[in-house]
Amino acid sequence: MRSKLKELQSLLYRLITAPEGVAQGLERETALPAGGLGGIIAGDERLSALARVEIYANMYFYRILDALKEDFPATLAVIGADNFHNLITDYIAAHPPTHYSINEAGRSLAGFVREHPLGRAHPFLADLAALEWAVIESFHARDASALDADAMRQIAPERWPALRLATHPAVRLLALAHRVERVLAAVERNEEWSPPAREPSPTLVWRNRSMVFYRVLEAPEFEALDAAHSGATFAEICGRFAAAATAGDAASEINRNLSRWLGDGLLILGGA
Amino acid sequence: MISRENFPSLGIGVGLRRVHYGWVLENRPRIDWFEIISENFMAPGGRPLEVLEAVRENYPIAMHGVSMSIGSTDPLRREYLARLKETARRFEPAWISDHLCWTGVGGRNLHDLLPLPYTEEAVRHVARRVREVQDFLERPILLENVSSYMAYRISRMSEWEFLAAVAEEADCGILLDINNIFVSAFNHGFDAHAYIDGVPLGRVMQFHLAGHSEHGAYLLDTHDHPVRDEVWALYEYALRRFGRVAALVEWDDNIPDFPVLAETAERAREIEEKLLGERGVNDAVQAEGIAKPALPPDNRA
Repeated sequence: MRSKLKELQSLLYRLITAPEGVAQGLERETALPAGGLGGIIAGDERLSALARVEIYANMYFYRILDALKEDFPATLAVIGADNFHNLITDYIAAHPPTHYSINEAGRSLAGFVREHPLGRAHPFLADLAALEWAVIESFHARDASALDADAMRQIAPERWPALRLATHPAVRLLALAHRVERVLAAVERNEEWSPPAREPSPTLVWRNRSMVFYRVLEAPEFEALDAAHSGATFAEICGRFAAAATAGDAASEINRNLSRWLGDGLLILGGA
Repeated sequence: MISRENFPSLGIGVGLRRVHYGWVLENRPRIDWFEIISENFMAPGGRPLEVLEAVRENYPIAMHGVSMSIGSTDPLRREYLARLKETARRFEPAWISDHLCWTGVGGRNLHDLLPLPYTEEAVRHVARRVREVQDFLERPILLENVSSYMAYRISRMSEWEFLAAVAEEADCGILLDINNIFVSAFNHGFDAHAYIDGVPLGRVMQFHLAGHSEHGAYLLDTHDHPVRDEVWALYEYALRRFGRVAALVEWDDNIPDFPVLAETAERAREIEEKLLGERGVNDAVQAEGIAKPALPPDNRA
């Protein structure tokens, strides 16, 4: 029985997810019983067996489409509803959901967009989708106690150089090639957006008091945070600023950035 | 054996949805309890968990899942169950429920609630898995009847006989969705009253009330409309059979302002009071009793 039930569920899965529709999906099935789909699903004068399975096929697609519209509003705004519909049709055929949470359905979208004709038509689109996904990840990331200025002050200054830091679990660092944060900000404010410039755009996404923020960083700040992300010591993190500035500038840059990072809750204490 | 004494009526609740987080926290509405979609609070952190912490300070909750896939032929997902158990440990729900359905196969998820064939073999398959889940969670669960749009030729019993058989064999509770009965009765041409008459009395621990949409030849369980009059009438019928049972208003699309949900809950309360009298002191004490502490870990005999 178990294998029979498995066969039944597998058949329905294939039909419901057939990219070109249930009827075309049925044509590929070679082992249907006499009566075809009608021998498995009961149809009646109101709704055929095919129409009944099609209800599930539509719900499958539109439920995921709606979830991804919510998670990628700027990607949607850039390419428009019809193109987004087609993109998601292709996407879920290539990356059908496997996770128990529909919130995970968009995890592979940015990478998929990079190779998709729509991504080639809009060279910044994959970066934009990557930023939107980082926002989602940051929103749901694990909580952790962020270091603040008071906590740092309680650590003896002589211990600072060897102090191992880490970024908060909700921090994401993206080495993007377009200023897509301007597009996302415009869409979030319901404003007109314009195609972003192509320029190195090291972008930080973080969460503070449940709200998610993002901003583009100067290269030294990105590198320093990236070092923290890898569990560097405070001295090593400072070294990233020192390499890019004169000695006096480096000290003030470190002070300025550290103060901002602590205020934004970007750092936690790292491992030993 | 599972008993209604361990599932006191929480009164009339509503589903906690993201659009209402701010309103609920600010206004602390007079609602008996909230139901959450378990999966929306199984992420490791973020605002939903903070909101739920705050809501839980003031209200009892129940956890209602959509992804257990209890009827799938895939192995039960331990990672999912572990996260579910951890979430329950943190938020101490009055109970945990999910659906009598399958949601995917072959490691893939349809994110939909698909019906099972109503056969003896399927009863055994699902009941075995429910017992496994209950052992793992160390508490009984409730299974909800789903709305369905297709039925299988190999089915050998009615949906309510299947629901009853699974609940008996697994020794689990039932979350009876009144709207789903109405929707499926229309879609498959059975008698909704016969369904309610066929569900075992002692196992129904919760009702769901929701709206649906009409699509000509069929009804769709969309949770995007007010509860229809026919569904209110069925709710009355169910109350007459099952007595005072916790009820919950669901609204998941075209979600109105919170006061509209509260009005719907109020209507459910008026119907319950009209038929069964006002909630007695004992009911209130029972409900209050699980406002914070968890149920005993295992209520099964």
